[in-house]
Amino acid sequence: MRNMNLYSRGDKFFVYATMVLVGVFTISTLYPFIYIAAMSFSSGFAARAGTVVLAPIDLTLAAYERVMSEPAFWNSYRNTFIYTFGGTLTSLLLVIPGAYALSRPNLWGRRFWNLLVAFTMWFNAGMIPIWLNFRDLGLLDSYFGIIIGFALNAFNVILLRNFFESIPDSFQEAARMDGANEFQILWKVFVPLSKPALATITLFCIVARWNGFFWAMVLLTDEGKIPLQVYLRHTIAALSDDEEFSSTLLTAPYSVETVTAAIIVCSVIPVLMIYPFVQKYFNKGIMLGGVKE
Amino acid sequence: MAIVDKESSAGIEKVVPKLTLSQRLDRIYLHLRREWQIYAMLAPLIIWFLMFNYRPMYGLQIAFKDYSVFLGIDGSPWVGFEHFQTLFQSDQFVRAFKNTIIISLLSLFIGFPMPIILALMFNEILNEAYKRTAQTIVYLPHFISSVIIAGIIITAFSPSAGIVNTVLGWFGVEPIYFLTKPEWFRPIFIGTGIWQEAGFQSIVFLAAIAGVNPSLYESAVVDGANRWQMMWKITIPCILPTIIIMLIIRIGNLLEVSFEMIILLYQPATYQTADVINTFIYRQGLIGGQYDVAAAAGLFNAVMAFCLVMSANAIAKRVSKTSLW
Amino acid sequence: MSGVFLEGIVKRYGAVEVVHGIDLEIQPQEFVVLVGPSGCGKSTTLRMIAGLEEISDGELRIGERVMNRVAPKDRDVAMVFQNYALYPHLNVADNMAFGLRIRKTPKDEIAKTIEETAKILGLTEYLERRPADLSGGQRQRVAMGRAIVRHPAVFLFDEPLSNLDAKLRTQMRAEIKRLHKRLGVTSVYVTHDQVEAMTLADRIVVMADGNIEQIGTPMELFNNPANTFVAGFIGSPPMNQFEATLEDSDAGPIAHANGTMIQLHGQEALRGSAGRDVIVGIRPEHVMLSAEAGTAEIPISLDLIETLGSEALLHTHVGDVPFVAKVETHGEIGHLQGVSALHVKPERVKLFDKDSGRALGQVA
Repeated sequence: MRNMNLYSRGDKFFVYATMVLVGVFTISTLYPFIYIAAMSFSSGFAARAGTVVLAPIDLTLAAYERVMSEPAFWNSYRNTFIYTFGGTLTSLLLVIPGAYALSRPNLWGRRFWNLLVAFTMWFNAGMIPIWLNFRDLGLLDSYFGIIIGFALNAFNVILLRNFFESIPDSFQEAARMDGANEFQILWKVFVPLSKPALATITLFCIVARWNGFFWAMVLLTDEGKIPLQVYLRHTIAALSDDEEFSSTLLTAPYSVETVTAAIIVCSVIPVLMIYPFVQKYFNKGIMLGGVKE
Repeated sequence: MAIVDKESSAGIEKVVPKLTLSQRLDRIYLHLRREWQIYAMLAPLIIWFLMFNYRPMYGLQIAFKDYSVFLGIDGSPWVGFEHFQTLFQSDQFVRAFKNTIIISLLSLFIGFPMPIILALMFNEILNEAYKRTAQTIVYLPHFISSVIIAGIIITAFSPSAGIVNTVLGWFGVEPIYFLTKPEWFRPIFIGTGIWQEAGFQSIVFLAAIAGVNPSLYESAVVDGANRWQMMWKITIPCILPTIIIMLIIRIGNLLEVSFEMIILLYQPATYQTADVINTFIYRQGLIGGQYDVAAAAGLFNAVMAFCLVMSANAIAKRVSKTSLW
Repeated sequence: MSGVFLEGIVKRYGAVEVVHGIDLEIQPQEFVVLVGPSGCGKSTTLRMIAGLEEISDGELRIGERVMNRVAPKDRDVAMVFQNYALYPHLNVADNMAFGLRIRKTPKDEIAKTIEETAKILGLTEYLERRPADLSGGQRQRVAMGRAIVRHPAVFLFDEPLSNLDAKLRTQMRAEIKRLHKRLGVTSVYVTHDQVEAMTLADRIVVMADGNIEQIGTPMELFNNPANTFVAGFIGSPPMNQFEATLEDSDAGPIAHANGTMIQLHGQEALRGSAGRDVIVGIRPEHVMLSAEAGTAEIPISLDLIETLGSEALLHTHVGDVPFVAKVETHGEIGHLQGVSALHVKPERVKLFDKDSGRALGQVA
């Protein structure tokens, strides 16, 4: 263990300077969140006047009342939960058996199947053919389309496959000699042995689903099906354009800024809630992703 | 893994009698009867990739067709490279191409060193609590959606209420409507990228630093080196392979500008500096309905990206003697 | 209990053949050890018996049944792996019960079997523990327990002791031997350690480069190695080997090596082979310090003495080939310093053909 007491004066100065710099970077990372939180609890008047800097001015819940009075907000929140839960579950159901099969040495054509998956990391058809594909499959404006259509990506498949490959062969062989079939080997041996990798992938999926925006915006035109991120985008755009809204603002206790901030806070809170779990695993996950074929 | 020891695989090679057709079929039958379960496990995954990745690749042919919704992908007539000609004669596409290159090169030059510097600084901090708190905070923005980040930017840079103009006001600067000024778009976009990702990207370098043999530092201490010298003479040379690999990966993904963020931040007033290939495709294709031209632009982008990735991988293989994938 | 019969077993990976047609008969209840350097095909052979590797050619029978195409689980064999392959998420009892549960054995029967097996292996107090909380020796026992509970016809061991430290290895070796005596199950055991092979085996199969070099009881291999490879592999320190030319003399044949003459009284079969190039093999243990009637004398100059306690190793050379003798110290080594000649009984001197390496003369 390094010990500061053994440092020279110059080294001590160096370390303190470093700590200050890191502190500055950290605060500048944190500040926007504090700013938005403060904004969301401030009055519209204070926000418009640009006086909100660190703490809420004229503490009020008006912006939150306005946000939560919209049924569309709650509806999109519910949709996001559906997409996140359904999508993550679908991903796991596809990726676990698939990655297991790809990791088996007794799979014929294993190189070919792996290449088929890996190739999609290097080349994709692009936005337009993908969109047309969804349209031709009849998956526009469909919960199912969003859930199944983004269930897999090559990165997660390879990450889990690599983990499975790192499990010594003898586990699989011992189970086979004990009479287990492949499904039993996967479920009773590999899945319990892969908890860290599976947790990483699950959390990656949850975060990706929760934050998914572009394809939801492009594939869903039915306002009733849009997730929170798209609703947020619509609201921010509408609020700044809407003349009528702007004219009522002079009398309203909220402003475009405070309402935007309030929606942001509402949609960030779930991420902050799972963040500690994410943090515990993504270190490992990143390392697992030292993707090698 | 097959049990072939090095010695034995170098062993005697014999001419193996060719199998007859019936022997081959017999082997296949035996294999499938024994191992059908792994194929059952693999099938859904492969079908998914065929449906959602390879089927669109088939649809890519509309880049060479006069695509009509009524005639469909197969029925539309071929037009050869017409759409590509149209693209290269279009000022908008050329501008988008230039912007893509400029924005990605700028992000690379400014954004790439940041996580390394951050990791080196984290490495110097001895106070574990301070270090862990700082890390937890700087990793966070990576997990926040681009819509929210864009929302924060829009709010913070708002001309009337935003904190940026408030602070500038303290120094007597007139409010600037940043998001409508083309000259401000790139700094804001690139700064946002660094703010969001630098912390998270430092993890890889921290791991590399953690892998440096501690006795190197101990012998340096005995030799009387200070921390600054150790950083330059030990840490950086030791993590150089990681740095090079990460740099090569970044170059491979050069064309992958996070266009989602651009769509959220740009507006017609800033297209001049902000419009990239993917936002161009989005507007032409998904909003304008010109699927074929947009698909051609996408194909151009994808082929360029593919070449970049492949050459990056080839270089990385040479540099590190291990493939990235 | 069933025997295991291999007839012309071949293993190929693509065009590379790693096991070249092995014939081996393992009798019911026998403990057979496959031993050889790494890459000799012993593990591959074991894995073919287990069903983990496909058999490229030849026939494998366990008991009466041909097993070439039978799945591992239906071969009625159990295997102990080098790294034990204990499931870290299951406790000892569940690890042992894994195979039985998969086979849908009734619950009360499982409980009974586990209890009995745990008693045999001294694991009763550890049944609730996870593998991570066990010592190396205990893990090793659990791995064996997992094989025992299945009551298989054949046990297969794949270098089961190589992950243990030297002291534990000796202890577990004895335990495996005891267990085999008690259960009497046919066992095939793979190791690269000749000491393990010597101590455990009813019969040893020495393998090299995908071929069987010799099959025999430990003492047969020690006393009458079939070739120079076996001679060098079995025994520690290994048999001394050096080149020599046969000559005739009035007293009988003589092996002439670089000026050293070794009398071979009694090996009359060699008479008439004068001029033949041979390799002389002498076990370090067979070397004596003093002459007896009829012993051959090897004059030496001492290079080094290694003291082991009750014994000492004398390092010397014949010509420029190193030569080691293992002699008793009787508690002191002073008298060893001045040794200038070693003696060996002629019948202890082994001769091998220089070109083929095969043993010459004496008992087949």
